[in-house]
Amino acid sequence: MIRSHLLNLVVYSALVAAVFAALMREGVGRQVRLGAVLFGAFVLSAVVVGWLMAPFPG
Amino acid sequence: MGTPTSDAGLERPGERAFRPGAAAIACLLGWLLPGAGHAYVGRPGRGAFFCLALLTLFGVGVSLDARLTLHLGLDDPLGLVIGAGQAALGLPYVLARALGGATGDVRSATFDYGVTFTATAGLLNVLVMLDAVDVALGRKA
Repeated sequence: MIRSHLLNLVVYSALVAAVFAALMREGVGRQVRLGAVLFGAFVLSAVVVGWLMAPFPG
Repeated sequence: MGTPTSDAGLERPGERAFRPGAAAIACLLGWLLPGAGHAYVGRPGRGAFFCLALLTLFGVGVSLDARLTLHLGLDDPLGLVIGAGQAALGLPYVLARALGGATGDVRSATFDYGVTFTATAGLLNVLVMLDAVDVALGRKA
């Protein structure tokens, strides 16, 4: 079982980005590019929101 | 029924049109097993990818102490969406429940992660099913 919150985020983002990319683009190259963009957006936005929420515990 | 096509994508969308009945079969197969609808309409490579990705997402979710419950009722709209989302994964969902491996542990630190993983896997499978229907109807190459 994965206990790391960050690893959970990375695994979730990678799988969801891969499925969306395969659904929305044709061709491996375009799928890989979109998947990378989505993965980065998922991880970055989660980290940014996490930082913004940090001053408001509970 | 039209002729299923290969992953090579050499045919135009209009040339691969299936009957609506075939689209319904693709939808049903896609619900039973993620990616099976794509295999039925002649996209086995893409179907195998969806199967691998969604089963991994679901399996990780179950390992994270997810609870698989089918909540029917409008008193908890979010529970209804999550339950329906999980059930949209078809046979893997049924098997996980039948084998008793998804009773969940709300005390677990990863319980919410598990529920999110499993519900997302099912909801993504709905999109995959609709994609297979589009291919079957010739709306998508």
